[in-house]
Amino acid sequence: MISWGFGCRRICTILIVPAAFLPAVCSAGDWLFDANVGILYDNNLTRAQAPADVRADGAAVLAASVGSLFALGGSDTISLGADLRGEAYWRFHGLNVIGLGADASYRHKFGLGWSAPWLLARASASYDDYQGNVRTGPRYVIFAELGKRFTESFDASFGGACDRRYARYDQPVVPGISGKPFDLSGASVYVRASYAVNESLALGARLSVRRGDVESTTRPNFAIFEASSAIAPDPTFGPDFFAYRLRGTTDVAALTASWALDDRSSINLSYTGERTRAYDDLDYRSWMGTVSVAFRY
Amino acid sequence: MKSVWLSAILMLMAGASRAQTAEIAASVLDDKGRAVADAVVVAVPSDSPARLPTRPREGVVDQVNKEFTPKVTAVLVGTPVTFPNNDNVRHQVYSFSPPKRFELPLYAGVPAQPIVFDKPGVVVLGCNIHDWMVGYVYVSESPYFAKTGNDGRALITDLPPRSYRVRVWHPQLDAPEESTEQNVDASAPRRVAATWTLPLKATIRIRRAPAGDASVRY
Repeated sequence: MISWGFGCRRICTILIVPAAFLPAVCSAGDWLFDANVGILYDNNLTRAQAPADVRADGAAVLAASVGSLFALGGSDTISLGADLRGEAYWRFHGLNVIGLGADASYRHKFGLGWSAPWLLARASASYDDYQGNVRTGPRYVIFAELGKRFTESFDASFGGACDRRYARYDQPVVPGISGKPFDLSGASVYVRASYAVNESLALGARLSVRRGDVESTTRPNFAIFEASSAIAPDPTFGPDFFAYRLRGTTDVAALTASWALDDRSSINLSYTGERTRAYDDLDYRSWMGTVSVAFRY
Repeated sequence: MKSVWLSAILMLMAGASRAQTAEIAASVLDDKGRAVADAVVVAVPSDSPARLPTRPREGVVDQVNKEFTPKVTAVLVGTPVTFPNNDNVRHQVYSFSPPKRFELPLYAGVPAQPIVFDKPGVVVLGCNIHDWMVGYVYVSESPYFAKTGNDGRALITDLPPRSYRVRVWHPQLDAPEESTEQNVDASAPRRVAATWTLPLKATIRIRRAPAGDASVRY
């Protein structure tokens, strides 16, 4: 039997590797260079329930990607991209990360014109190298989204995604229990919409529900220990902190505001609120805010 | 020597002919008094239909940097218009507008056949690959038209002296085009000035700038 993790990795490989050869097949690719620089603040990095275990911090974020869009026909486009992302935290340096990734997507428009409904399928793969080894490993995401632009100002879509994250390092502390709490998989559904208030300001909202593995870092906690399927030390937050893997449901609500400086750049704000309910009454909430400037060439 | 005299006579005749024409100097402002660029000013003779040229000049709507250039093009009815693509990516130009529905399948370079705009009206252009691209072809039933520049001014020249009904169209015009009509007496061979103040609505073009995305962590 093929495991979900292996299946996800295989789907991403099937989509992304052949896509690397498409530039040789398709001509007239539309090259896109994106860069994003900003800061983020997360009020519960540990995803902990007990206030004493909650840790908050901010980070500087730098991301860049290069991609190409290939029009296969009037209704079908394929895009391929590679990206590099880095986050540097003020206090918890174990969260500092450099990630290298690639993605491929296929978009089909059901008709002619900007109001035609569209279908998007996308696969991405990345390798995230954290300063704290316990989080290091590859990550794969596939999703499919169906959307429509209703007016020049308003568009909406809904979709589903599957994510799989592998932990590279096994650091077991309890015999018989995995030492890879960041070996995670899940599936989510979401809806999103955006509305352009005027030529400059666009507002966006996204709601999603994810069912799958979640990670929580706390000091030793018997209730969480009983419910967890993987445990490893997490020295990023202190010598007495442990990372636990649990099954849970995460509700996410995100709001964005984007101010276009011109056709190629924008200032962006986002707020993301999360609530996770895991087994044995673990219920934690967190929110994250970001401010960033995006460039596209 | 004879040819010199002949040339001189022809030049005098041409000058005399030009002296017999009128001009309308149009000035288009918005309701805050700012100059309005890309407004099309059309003069229709009040008494009789204008005589149309047998073969209108060809129009061109370019595509540069994934935008239609110019954004507004005014042509006479029956004008063939080509849509050269000067980008290094392919475009698929289309229009759903009743005066001219057409589609140019995905192409690079210059399409083999121009599109003939054979009915008067406004034709909105789009690209099926780049949704933010929007352009307009104003198809005039009268040969007497001009488009305003950045200073909001347009000059319609070579008008046979007579009275005209003159109207203005703009992509953001927030009123029927007919409501802008003015009677302009250009029956004397001289320049006549006319001013329009247009109610313009804010239009929102599909966004091209990058938009931020909320981060989600799992």
